[in-house]
Amino acid sequence: MSDQSLQGAIITSQLIASIATRTTLETPGVLRLEPTNQSFLPRLGPAALQNLRHPGSQNGTYQHDGVTATISDGTARVHLYIATDIAYTALHVAEKVQQRVRESISHTGLTPGAIDVTILAIERHHRTTIM
Amino acid sequence: MALEDIPRLGCGRSIDRIWGTIDRPPTAHEEQCDQCQTARTRLRRLSKATRSLRESDLHNPTMEPRPGIKNAIMDVVRAKVRRGSRILLRSADNGTTEISEQALSSLIRSAAAAIPGVHSRRCRIEIRSAAASVADEDHPTGTTGTSTNAGPRLIINLRVAAAPGIVIPRTVEALRHEISNAIPASVGIGAGTVNITVEDLYDV
Amino acid sequence: MGDHGPGFEPDLDEGSIVARAQDGDLAAFEHLVLTYQYRLFRLAYRMLNDRGEAEDIVQETLTTSWRGLPMLADVDAFGGWIYRLATNKCLDLLRKRSSHAENIIDLEDMDTIAEAGCRAVSAALDPAQEAEWSAEQDGLTALLNALPPAQRACWLLREMHGRSYAEIGVTLKITPAAVRGTLARARHQIAEGMSQWR
Repeated sequence: MSDQSLQGAIITSQLIASIATRTTLETPGVLRLEPTNQSFLPRLGPAALQNLRHPGSQNGTYQHDGVTATISDGTARVHLYIATDIAYTALHVAEKVQQRVRESISHTGLTPGAIDVTILAIERHHRTTIM
Repeated sequence: MALEDIPRLGCGRSIDRIWGTIDRPPTAHEEQCDQCQTARTRLRRLSKATRSLRESDLHNPTMEPRPGIKNAIMDVVRAKVRRGSRILLRSADNGTTEISEQALSSLIRSAAAAIPGVHSRRCRIEIRSAAASVADEDHPTGTTGTSTNAGPRLIINLRVAAAPGIVIPRTVEALRHEISNAIPASVGIGAGTVNITVEDLYDV
Repeated sequence: MGDHGPGFEPDLDEGSIVARAQDGDLAAFEHLVLTYQYRLFRLAYRMLNDRGEAEDIVQETLTTSWRGLPMLADVDAFGGWIYRLATNKCLDLLRKRSSHAENIIDLEDMDTIAEAGCRAVSAALDPAQEAEWSAEQDGLTALLNALPPAQRACWLLREMHGRSYAEIGVTLKITPAAVRGTLARARHQIAEGMSQWR
């Protein structure tokens, strides 16, 4: 997608989350996003909760399996929860993810804020599954 | 009725005693005693029926829960999954990177699986406090917030069960070596201190 | 199944599997679920005679065990602990049941049950031993169901599941000697009932 087509468009936190998800999954060494059962809304404070009640607003938080995206005054913050391949160095994978997500956010016209990464699992890519 | 009260036959023999010896030939008393003989016959029949019920329940497909039960259990468990504490690997203005204790401990167990004769068990990971790392030249205090943070200093406490007959010191050394290599390779930080406790022997 | 940890070795000893589950390892816990769901179902079904309720007991017991696992001091005590949880859940349910409906079986009913067992055995017209056995099993379970719940639990844990006197004692909150006495009474009562079949 080009920068132009997004000019003046409303970028929602949901869109940021889905861009961040795709970018992360395309990064070598990432096995998947890892769903987390913790709610991060309290951490964001009452202001974020207020924004959630106005879904049309450009400010707000969107949380989906393994990703939380928050837009606040033109800055997009993302927290990603990932599982990495044991054959890669997790810290380097996380660094690459942060760099790529930052890049893809800047293509939307928003300012990339903090891109936080939590590594929840390190696994072998070809692992056997016990049913 | 007292809890220890064991039913007795008219001849004074306890049911328990007869039960314990039904597979043996009758004693001189039992051969003479009608009550004992009746009890032996009945208990032997019970013993046979018990064995047959046990075997048939074990192999009877209707004595199994429906297949969805396991998934239902695992769904509940997954929603409450314990990941342990989170360890900050790197902190910078434009984002932090952290790792769950569980991700680290499963990596450690995966490394340990390469060493024959040990089964890894519980694993606790502590972070060496800032005060303790003052002495470390390459890890000065006050490095938070910079992108050159070399990462936390780990103290890994791994408990293992060992196979009987293995040479423990040599195996533990190999295990320590394996873990010390796996963490820099797969996480990107030093393994720090690796404490290994052999807590049990497992049956082979 | 995305949450499996790496390198789960299938030949692990149970103590190590329990220890890993205590650390939150889902693959290890799943292995325990697979191992124990059948045993617990057989116990609960024979206690309750209701598939749905027995499945509920299995599910509740194993999900409860996930929460309690980190507190378990001895990994080798897992089996005894999980049997204890399930047995007590069954006994609780039976207490609730009997307070809801007056279906406590008294001694008079014992005769009826023995008769039912009698019919079950004589209904086996097929001379094949298998059919006879199955009728005898029906008779045995009918007698078993006539035992007071704690006695039935005691008998099932020992005879069907091979649990130790000490462990059964802890489960039923009685001494190992009392377990021995309870078992003897249960066997005596069942054997008596069986003798009325023919």
